[in-house]
Amino acid sequence: MKLASALDRRRHLTGYAFVTPTILVIVAILVYPVIQSVVLSFGQSSIDGSTGYTFVGLKHYASLMENERFWNALTVTLIFTVLTIPLELALGIGLALILNEHFKGKGLARLAVLFPWALPTALNTLMWRWMYNADFGLFNAVALQTGIADKPINWLGDPTLAMLSMVIVAVWKTSSFMALIILAGLQSIPKDLYEAGRMDGMTRWQEFREITLPLLKGPILVALVIRSMDALRTFELPYNLTDGGPVTATESLSLYAYKVIFDFIDFNFGAAVVVIQFLVIFALSLVYILALRPKD
Amino acid sequence: MKAKLIGSAAIAAALIGLGSLQASAADLVLSLGTRGYGAAAERNLAAFKELHPDIDVEWNKVSDVPNETRKIYVTNLTARSPTPDVFAVDVIWAGEFAQRGWLDPLDGLLSAETIASYNPAFLEAAQVDGKTFAAPLYLDGTHLFYRTDLLEKYNLEVPKTWEDLISASKTIMEGEGNPQFYGFVSMWAKIEGLFMNWLSFTNGNGGGFYDADGNVAVNSEANIKATQTMVDMLYADEIAPQSILNMRPDDARTLFQQGRAAFLMVQGFVYAPLAAPDSPVAGKFDFTRNPYFEGHPDAHSTAMGGWFLGINPNSENKEAAAELIAFFTSYEQELQAAVQDNRAPTVPAVYDDPEMKKANVLAKFGKNYDVGVVRPSAGTGEMYPRVSEIMQLEVTNALHRQKSVEEALNDAQAQIEALLAN
Amino acid sequence: MKTRPRIGLYLLVALSVVISFLPIVWLILTSMKTTAGIYAWPPQYIPSPFTLENYIKILRDSPELLLYVLNSFIVGVGCTAVTLGIGGLAGYALSRLRLKYAAALMVAILAVSMFPPVSLLPSLFQNFLEAGLLNTYQGLILAHTGLFLPFAVWMLASYFATLPTEIEEAAKMDGMGTLRIFLTVVIPLSWPGFVATGLIVFIFSWNEFPLALVLMSQNAMRTAPVGISLYPGEYAFPWETISTATVIAIVPILIITAIFQKQIVGGLTAGAVK
Repeated sequence: MKLASALDRRRHLTGYAFVTPTILVIVAILVYPVIQSVVLSFGQSSIDGSTGYTFVGLKHYASLMENERFWNALTVTLIFTVLTIPLELALGIGLALILNEHFKGKGLARLAVLFPWALPTALNTLMWRWMYNADFGLFNAVALQTGIADKPINWLGDPTLAMLSMVIVAVWKTSSFMALIILAGLQSIPKDLYEAGRMDGMTRWQEFREITLPLLKGPILVALVIRSMDALRTFELPYNLTDGGPVTATESLSLYAYKVIFDFIDFNFGAAVVVIQFLVIFALSLVYILALRPKD
Repeated sequence: MKAKLIGSAAIAAALIGLGSLQASAADLVLSLGTRGYGAAAERNLAAFKELHPDIDVEWNKVSDVPNETRKIYVTNLTARSPTPDVFAVDVIWAGEFAQRGWLDPLDGLLSAETIASYNPAFLEAAQVDGKTFAAPLYLDGTHLFYRTDLLEKYNLEVPKTWEDLISASKTIMEGEGNPQFYGFVSMWAKIEGLFMNWLSFTNGNGGGFYDADGNVAVNSEANIKATQTMVDMLYADEIAPQSILNMRPDDARTLFQQGRAAFLMVQGFVYAPLAAPDSPVAGKFDFTRNPYFEGHPDAHSTAMGGWFLGINPNSENKEAAAELIAFFTSYEQELQAAVQDNRAPTVPAVYDDPEMKKANVLAKFGKNYDVGVVRPSAGTGEMYPRVSEIMQLEVTNALHRQKSVEEALNDAQAQIEALLAN
Repeated sequence: MKTRPRIGLYLLVALSVVISFLPIVWLILTSMKTTAGIYAWPPQYIPSPFTLENYIKILRDSPELLLYVLNSFIVGVGCTAVTLGIGGLAGYALSRLRLKYAAALMVAILAVSMFPPVSLLPSLFQNFLEAGLLNTYQGLILAHTGLFLPFAVWMLASYFATLPTEIEEAAKMDGMGTLRIFLTVVIPLSWPGFVATGLIVFIFSWNEFPLALVLMSQNAMRTAPVGISLYPGEYAFPWETISTATVIAIVPILIITAIFQKQIVGGLTAGAVK
């Protein structure tokens, strides 16, 4: 007994020693800065921290509540999330079902699905921005030459179109990620389930609804959580595609916070913006966690 | 396995060692865009190298979109980075940067004669509490470029007023019958250039940012009418393409250069690329002062800008940095930039040089500067970036018809009043 | 299965392949046009004349592009090495050493990975400024390590959990210490997990934008995505330069993805399905 507990203590000591470097880095880079952001958001201080900190309570939050641009950024972020996620999910399931079939050239197809995910969003966005260009871009060239449009379409210059254009880029890039996760889920479904289904005379659609979909719930929820987090903090997409424009039609919370911090050089107000953003993400993840729970 | 682990640890250590190897080996780093002063800078740097073979200068060619460059400066200067040593400062930032302690006073570093040689009116933008924080490099302003061949083809006069320009545009667009051809292009993306445009339009109608008493008067009658003209050019007269709302100066210049627009209102730097031998419009274009509205022939409608050179307070080579600034802004270099690249000198004595007779284009630019108007950066100081942001945003709101012109300008007025009252 | 019509399937596959590659192909075509060709109307779908001039020009006149790629590489490799090193230890301890708070720690690590990077910016910028870590490789390596450690710990922990326990137990009988077991027994057994995790962390780091934008503000220190986004040019948006630079910057990632696609896909999906 004594020996066992000594060994136990030793194992625990070693274990926590193994974990310590990771905890230190995570605290230094993620946890502590977030706490600092909260502190900054309740005070007034200079950009480089050279002058002292004065506590101002909820002043920044109060002015945020009255700030039209902040509400706009919040709305833009939510609309963007609500538009992209279902599209990505639908396309992701479709792509996964395709990739789950056996056909020649599957390797190439899988690579094609992986590429948009693997490339930097910032550079992907530049590629799309060039195709969207109203005067020299590929899309308008095709649209005008085939007669689909008689006037150049102002993809990134019209508030509604700009949001749609941004959604398209996001869906293009991340449907593949959804597809890969769902594909892995598909491949873990035992084949005999389908055979049993066929015996019962199920149609393909019934098979999909009654066998495939229920068993995919787990992977789909995981993919949804990861993608929603990403969508809610989207930054380089509007930064490189539209700079948040036209007007502020595509200005996400992250981009707005960045502009407050580094264009207007107001760290405290900017910190209040990021704290709110953080709370929104936290609330959403709680919703997802609750949705996940009954399954277990 | 152990060997591998030690190996990877060694790589990690080597990488961390690399970090201390600071990226720049040059004595001086100069941050300056290529668009406005590229050719002159290249010449000056070569000459400087001959004069000071011991000073190694690295030219960091920053973006020519001022707001992008500004962000880089803000992070670098706040980070107390020692580089760039010398950097180009837009006239609208000079006061703000000086107040924030991001520019080193030049008084001890440049000789009093050198400082006295600069245009005092322009230099004021970089002076705070009697100290000089940056040296003026060149002046720039917006002009109206037009296609001489097209005006001739349709028997039109060079437009003096916006009314003329709109009707001339309609005639040309109708005659050309090409849906890919536009009357008027300019920089109406949400950038500083839009604010410059707005100042050109409003001042051209007897309005402007301030009223006659120096109070902020963004939503005056004259301004509302002028701004409405901008909106109408898009939606009623349809002489400007929708894409103008995304255009920065060079996007507009590219369309004009490809022969797809009759009029172009941007800064003078476009002259060189437009006149280049491989340009499709070479020899087919000219320029004049920005239009005004009927009844305001004396309006100051040339929106002015300009660039300074300043020294980073954290520079480790301030003497050499001052040497470089003195050289770039010296009589001879300013003269060559004027004669060869049409850059308006900031040393008044240069204008009397006999060689200036060769600078035909510049002389014409210069005449437009007589009717110049500057942005309100001196009056608003540290608040200028926010004032400009409000103006860009609200004018964009009007141009996108998200708000009526009156609403947008009323909102701008209210926000600016609140900001400046703080 | 075999009786089903295959043509529809192949059409769908072809469509997805085309849509996936379209932007990249158009970018490559753009990079091979002359400036006049890029802005021509009617547009050129096929470059004419076809030219490599842009590549020659960019490699000759813009040494900073290669520097950006090198910076991305240094940061990517550094971050991957550190992340695998300390994340491997943590993942092993959390999945194998039956620690009392292992489950709570795993959840906590997952929770902090939700933090939006922009929410870290104001304080991270000030802390790095004080510590002299702005515009240094170690600074961005550290920041990226923090950002991607949660992912790596989870991936590796779930990989270690699949290993049979017998071998470790045998090693323990031989009197080996835990660290020695980890280094000499566990790592050789789990290198596929390390490879998959490492590849994904490297790609994450190569692609990361907001922190690289703010923490590396000096031109010479920028990473490829940031440097190209801010590409200085004679004209405001020089597409001939940007398209060429982008092609050069994505080639390494394209090659890595193509070679290791099985490992990457396996790694990406492993955690989600379990």
